[in-house]
Amino acid sequence: MSLNINNLSVSIAERQILKDFNLSVSRGEVHAIMGPNGTGKSTLAKALAAHPDYTVTGGTALLDGAEIIGLEPDAVARLGLFMAFQYPVEIPGVSIANFIRAALTARLKESGGDFSATAYYKALYAQMDALKIPREFTSRSVNVGFSGGEKKRCDILQMAMLKPSYAILDETDSGLDIDALRIVADGVNHMRGPGTGFVIITHYQRLLNYIKPDYVHVMYGGRIVKSGGAELALELEEKGYGWVEKEFGVLV
Amino acid sequence: MTDTFYMTEALSICSDAAFEAHLGSLKDMPSWLLDIKREAWARYKALPEPRRKDEQWRFASTDGLSLDPYSYRVPSADPQECARPLLECGGCLDFADDAYIGGRPLYEEAAARGVIFLPLDRALREHPELVRRHLFERMPDLGSEKYQALHVAMFTTGVFLHVPRGVQVELPLAGLHEAVSEGASVFPHTLVVAEEGASVTMFDVFRSREAAARHFACAAADICALPGANIRYRMVQAWSRSSLAFHMNSASAERSSSVDAITINVGAAHVRSEQHGRIVGRGGNVQMHSLTLATGTQEVDQRTLQTHDAGDGHSNLLYKNVLLDKAHTIFSGLIRVAENAQRTDAYQTNRNLLLSPEAEADSLPGLEILANDVKCSHGASTGQLDKEQLYYMLARGLHRSTAQQLMVFGFFEEVLEKFGNEQLAQYVRDLLQESFNAHELLNNSPDAT
Amino acid sequence: MSSQTDDRSAQEKALAVERDVGNFSYETSYDFDAGKGLSERTIDYICDVKGEPDWMREFRKKALKVFNDKPMPSSWASPDLANIDFDRISYYMAKGRPSRSWDEVPDEVKKTFERLGVPEKERAFLAGVEAQFDSESSYSSMKEELAKQGVIFVSSSEGLMKHPEIFRQWFGKVIPIGDNKFSALNSAVFSGGSFIYIPKGVKLKQPLQAYFRINAEEMGQFERTLIIADEGAEMMYMEGCTAPQYETSALHSAVVELVALKGAKIQYVTVQNWSASVFNLVTKRGLALEDAEIRWIDCNIGSRLTMKYPAVVLRGERARGEVLSIALAHDGQHQDTGSKMIHAADNTSSNIVSKSISIGKGRATYRGMVQMPRHLKNCKNNTECDALLINTNSRTDTYPAIVVRGEGNSVQHEASVSKVSEEQIFYMQQRGIPEAEAMSLAVNGFVNDLVREFPMEYSVELRRLIDLEMEGSVG
Repeated sequence: MSLNINNLSVSIAERQILKDFNLSVSRGEVHAIMGPNGTGKSTLAKALAAHPDYTVTGGTALLDGAEIIGLEPDAVARLGLFMAFQYPVEIPGVSIANFIRAALTARLKESGGDFSATAYYKALYAQMDALKIPREFTSRSVNVGFSGGEKKRCDILQMAMLKPSYAILDETDSGLDIDALRIVADGVNHMRGPGTGFVIITHYQRLLNYIKPDYVHVMYGGRIVKSGGAELALELEEKGYGWVEKEFGVLV
Repeated sequence: MTDTFYMTEALSICSDAAFEAHLGSLKDMPSWLLDIKREAWARYKALPEPRRKDEQWRFASTDGLSLDPYSYRVPSADPQECARPLLECGGCLDFADDAYIGGRPLYEEAAARGVIFLPLDRALREHPELVRRHLFERMPDLGSEKYQALHVAMFTTGVFLHVPRGVQVELPLAGLHEAVSEGASVFPHTLVVAEEGASVTMFDVFRSREAAARHFACAAADICALPGANIRYRMVQAWSRSSLAFHMNSASAERSSSVDAITINVGAAHVRSEQHGRIVGRGGNVQMHSLTLATGTQEVDQRTLQTHDAGDGHSNLLYKNVLLDKAHTIFSGLIRVAENAQRTDAYQTNRNLLLSPEAEADSLPGLEILANDVKCSHGASTGQLDKEQLYYMLARGLHRSTAQQLMVFGFFEEVLEKFGNEQLAQYVRDLLQESFNAHELLNNSPDAT
Repeated sequence: MSSQTDDRSAQEKALAVERDVGNFSYETSYDFDAGKGLSERTIDYICDVKGEPDWMREFRKKALKVFNDKPMPSSWASPDLANIDFDRISYYMAKGRPSRSWDEVPDEVKKTFERLGVPEKERAFLAGVEAQFDSESSYSSMKEELAKQGVIFVSSSEGLMKHPEIFRQWFGKVIPIGDNKFSALNSAVFSGGSFIYIPKGVKLKQPLQAYFRINAEEMGQFERTLIIADEGAEMMYMEGCTAPQYETSALHSAVVELVALKGAKIQYVTVQNWSASVFNLVTKRGLALEDAEIRWIDCNIGSRLTMKYPAVVLRGERARGEVLSIALAHDGQHQDTGSKMIHAADNTSSNIVSKSISIGKGRATYRGMVQMPRHLKNCKNNTECDALLINTNSRTDTYPAIVVRGEGNSVQHEASVSKVSEEQIFYMQQRGIPEAEAMSLAVNGFVNDLVREFPMEYSVELRRLIDLEMEGSVG
């Protein structure tokens, strides 16, 4: 059971960003992808989540054996891929409770299951408590008027409720203060287990102090140039991205 | 005014005799122009008088539109004195009662690059085909067809400005249009054409030489930016306070071009100010800003239209009005986005500051949107000076009248700073100040308590 | 007993008159039918059948003359109005509807009832199978309670006959005959609608619903409703429903007059979902006296052309007026709606929030009028209208008119046009929600703050209805 990305090439508006990108993430693993700005980290997340602005020009991505390239974004999501957004969108007038419920219902429709309102709210409140999200947020519109930290927590809440088999966190740590960072990390650590594989995209090592990755990959020029264990993140922190550029710039 | 070589008998403005006298006075004009004029005169006579129940004349006092008090005299260039230069500019055309009386020639550098800046009658004689290509090509579609026809039939001259391809005219050019004789009618026409990639700034000032005189002005300005061109057009309307005026303006932006138009209204007893901005080519941009200070029993009837007939266009309108005494302003604006004009951004804002309980501000901000991928909005507000701000100033020891004036000028500044020319901005500030002084805002202040 | 005899003789007389004319046929399923076309004879017929007093007969005839004399609004209104053929319309039909069986109701309509969750017992009535909504059981206890408080809740005809002193004092006062061509038409031929009087200080906790006493006549095309809330009284009235109305008539033209006396509060809630062939031309206006409050909460769905601009005349100091409206225009439909706020006393305030959704080639128009005359002080209006365009060929227009004079008066008007943001749709799709459903959610979100102003059962149905309307609008 894994997410296998093979020779994935992606472009935005004719400009190629990802080039023959390869990565395999098994359920239960936590992979961190690091790299300088503009190197294609977010493109990877958006392309896998089938964002309409990103065109896959080659390669495949198999989620537990099923091809996800070419699917509609919602179909990819229902197959079990979750993306935590770098900039979560505001949706006026749609309450968090109704929104998550609609997302769950869409999944249950396919599996033919059902859930009661009581069970739903019980689960929702439990997750909200864990993420320190006040109860009154359930009736607030999704992300509208939220602080940066609240938006990220709202995304993590959705992740916890939707229980994806693979979750990609796209620079979820950007713009978070230390308390919010810890809450987000707790949310992820809480979900860690054999059922879910994580891809954590981040520019800084900071988040990885709270979520210990099994693997760290360094991305440069649209592909992974170096992989290693958790210690690689520390090495990067110490040497900076200039080191990557110097060492791998010629390869690209 | 002494009589001159020309026949200057005063004729009733609406009479066939006036039109015939006008035709007879035109020297060496191309025959196509005479045909257009005859046709326009017939149209003028055939079209009905506007009525208040016509949607495009809603709230207007159409009974104030009688032309009876005004006469027509064949324009004569001699011996009226030349007005003192108004602004530092790269060239100025001065007119008195529709006759060109001099000014300042176009500066050397621009002339050398082929820029044409001439009185319109001379341009018609010297560059008939060039003028014909653009003249009356686009008139505003805002309800004044009858007065447009009158304008076409009776115009004699005005400003013709043509900037050839790729030429950037650095210095602003100006037109000064004065009405002089008591009861005179004038029909100034401004035509500005910037060819591909060209750029120019044009100021038009319309005024009565004597504040006590009464005039009828039926003016039109047609501003055409060809692909990639860039035109800034500023007009100041300062006719005498007993005058009746029509200003029927069109600004059109072709592909990737822009027109930035500012209209100032301080004069006239009754002015109909029409401004039609058109996005005719993809990515065109039209800015329409206006300031009005209406005092006494002035009626300022503003009708605007922003038509987007091509996609990716941008238009932005801001009309600010300050009303004193028994003044009446009407802002009627419409944004119309055609079915194919996707990715349009169009905005329209009307702000009215009502400083007297006797004044009336009408606002008709409209939208007609036939494409869905658009960002369009309009806002209209009518209110008084902010009490908290006023209080803050009073608490710092300012006199109420000073504080009010400061706030009103502050209200105007948003548009004044878009002038891009401090001298013209100052000229407008002075006009506004004169208006204020004359009408003693301080004594009429509604909340002088 | 005697009134019944009168009725019978009146109707016999009327039928005799009509037989003499002999130039139209009866629909057997109607007990009374004024035939097609409109003349003084039609009015005599209606008055005779209903046994109305002479003043009403005169009122109706005067209205007919005004209707005939008044030109169709042409300078601003939809040219589609010219397609109404007044000679082909039946102006009065009462008691009894075309007899249909449940089997004859189109499957589509049945399915819609089901999906909207319309209660079983209401379906047959709404589909036109039953002439009378079986509500006696649920209504009787309420009726008793209302009677105890002195509330009058009857049909407008009954109001005219049984409560002439209150009826006549206010009838046609808020909306005079000549207000517009269609109010004149309604004044000439109205039948059905409600007459309600809430006595001083009575605050109703439950909304009154037209449902409870509706029959074929009240479902008519020319309803006339008059509601008077006496000093300090409070009430909410609900009309219509989200179910498609199984109607064959081409023209509906109602008049609704509200009177809120000193300190009274009236909320008038309408949800209408007309079939796509109907012209729905409605005049609604409330008169709010000192410290009174009138709110129109309005949802317009369906119809070929709806023209409806609920108004409040703020006649007493500190009166408040509000219009909240949702319009949804589908292919071939034009929702021409809006509001009028006529400020006529100091310190009055008004609020207008209008949201429209245009789907396919649907067209939604907002038309507004806010008026503050010269002698007034410290009046306020706030207007917001937002339009959402779903498809590339959807259309919206906004035509407000604002007239402000006087001292310390202020008006704010904001309007915007947008489409559903692609980023929003993607965000929802990423959470596994199919595109069409995401679109529905976004649209529901767009109108959410207004939908929650509707009473609970309406708002639930409204949301379902919007989902239904959104179906098939995406790729």
